Amino acid sequence: MEATTYNYKVVRQFAIMTVVWGIVGMLVGLILASQLIWPDLTFGIEWLSYGRLRPLHTNAVIFAFGGSAMFAVSYYIVQRTCQVRLWAEKLAAFTFWGWTAVIVLAAITLPMGITSSKEYAELEWPIDLLITVVWVSYALVFFGTIIKRKTKHIYVSNWFFGAYILVIALLHLVNSAELPWILGGSTSAWYKSYSAYAGVQDAMVQWWYGHNAVGFFLTTAFLGMMYYFIPKQAGRPIYSYRLSVVHFWSLNFIYMWAGPHHLQYTALPDWAQSLGMVFSLMLLAPSWGGMMNGIMTLSGAWHKLRTDPILKFMVTALSFYGMSTFEGPMMSIKTVNALSHYTEWTIGHVHSGALGWVAMITIGSMYYLIPRLFGRESMYSTKLIEWHFWFSTIGVVLYIASMWIAGVAQGLMWRAANPDGTLTYSFAQVVATMHPFYGIRLAGGALFFGGMLMMAYNVWQTVRAGRVVNDAPIPQAVHA
Amino acid sequence: MDSGTLSGIITAVFVIVFIGIVWWAFSTRNKQRFEEDARLPFEDDDDRPAKQGDKQ
Repeated sequence: MEATTYNYKVVRQFAIMTVVWGIVGMLVGLILASQLIWPDLTFGIEWLSYGRLRPLHTNAVIFAFGGSAMFAVSYYIVQRTCQVRLWAEKLAAFTFWGWTAVIVLAAITLPMGITSSKEYAELEWPIDLLITVVWVSYALVFFGTIIKRKTKHIYVSNWFFGAYILVIALLHLVNSAELPWILGGSTSAWYKSYSAYAGVQDAMVQWWYGHNAVGFFLTTAFLGMMYYFIPKQAGRPIYSYRLSVVHFWSLNFIYMWAGPHHLQYTALPDWAQSLGMVFSLMLLAPSWGGMMNGIMTLSGAWHKLRTDPILKFMVTALSFYGMSTFEGPMMSIKTVNALSHYTEWTIGHVHSGALGWVAMITIGSMYYLIPRLFGRESMYSTKLIEWHFWFSTIGVVLYIASMWIAGVAQGLMWRAANPDGTLTYSFAQVVATMHPFYGIRLAGGALFFGGMLMMAYNVWQTVRAGRVVNDAPIPQAVHA
Repeated sequence: MDSGTLSGIITAVFVIVFIGIVWWAFSTRNKQRFEEDARLPFEDDDDRPAKQGDKQ
């Protein structure tokens, strides 16, 4: 018999875990920010040392918080815009437990110091294999649902999700190609592995992976979220669907080649560095096209921004998206990169994208989604969403402004030379200069984290007063 | 064929593909189709919360 309802259970599980992992990941971020101010904060306990917590923070916010959010919204949107129940629901349930297992394993192994040392791909080979199985299952569920759709065409959000799922599979398989040390005869550390690549090739594969993790995990996937939830929350279709088609193809094509900008002025061949810079500059066009498409969706409905804090989250997220996709191409220009690379400016840039864009569009979407998953008209408290919005916005602004100033100061101090060619500033002098800015960054991060705690309370109250929706009906009048 | 010529040909092919996509997306023939696609998220009664909720 044909299913008459949508599967909300797996969406609900991932949506709740999004909030939980967001809080965990950002808390680790706060600890790290504090360690930079007070290096002895964790009493020299090795499991809590900066070098081990840092990959825990990045993995938790990107793959646990961002990843859970993407599973939740892609399962929700693919069902609602294809007007069918998920294909292979047991496999979908497996993706939840499998992904959660990956996160728990990461939370155990990274503080133990077990790492392949590849940035954003630190997890060792047994976990890499589990990720592969979960991701293939995810692809089967997603594309299986697309194939059995009732609608004639595939909504643009699903195109973005499809690209994200395919490219992340490709990135993971290529970058995590590694030789387990057990095959080399070691029995002492069976979980240890070494990359299949060496030298500059390893660096290039790593940053092809690293930048496309930004491009396809943190951008393409969240644009899919944007293309559904902004029209829904604004109550009007996307400004230009045709622009979204051009946006999709040009963004995906160009992003693939931008990775070398992480390796300016290194042993990477000069032509590859220039290629990375040129493609990064070109990215400005599709990025801003997509941003304008989202913002212009509100044209004629701007008044809603005054009263609707969920819409405020979404539109502010797009503004930060526009800012960071302008900043990124600028920083990839070799002469700018000569100043900005390895400084706090990069950290500021990343968080303008990660907190300003990814987290804020996710938070807005979750405030839309969670009441619907629990049979409520709206969240428990709209006023609390408004407070959350201001905490987040002020938090991000403090964070990125302090890191801009710190980063530029750092770059200028590092390159300053005396007439006799010696360096003007010692390394320790530069570190001392960073001190007040680290304090401002911590304050910004704490504000953002405080907003997440408000969200947790608001979600808790909404869930408590609500009823689990098992499951929402599929509309019967099927539209072509 | 040297690599310069090959790069040139590939660049030209991609430019043509890009122009093709823009032409396809903005041709008047597809106007109606894309307007219908843009309404896909609004084909359901999602804005009213489901009534048949059950407590777990």
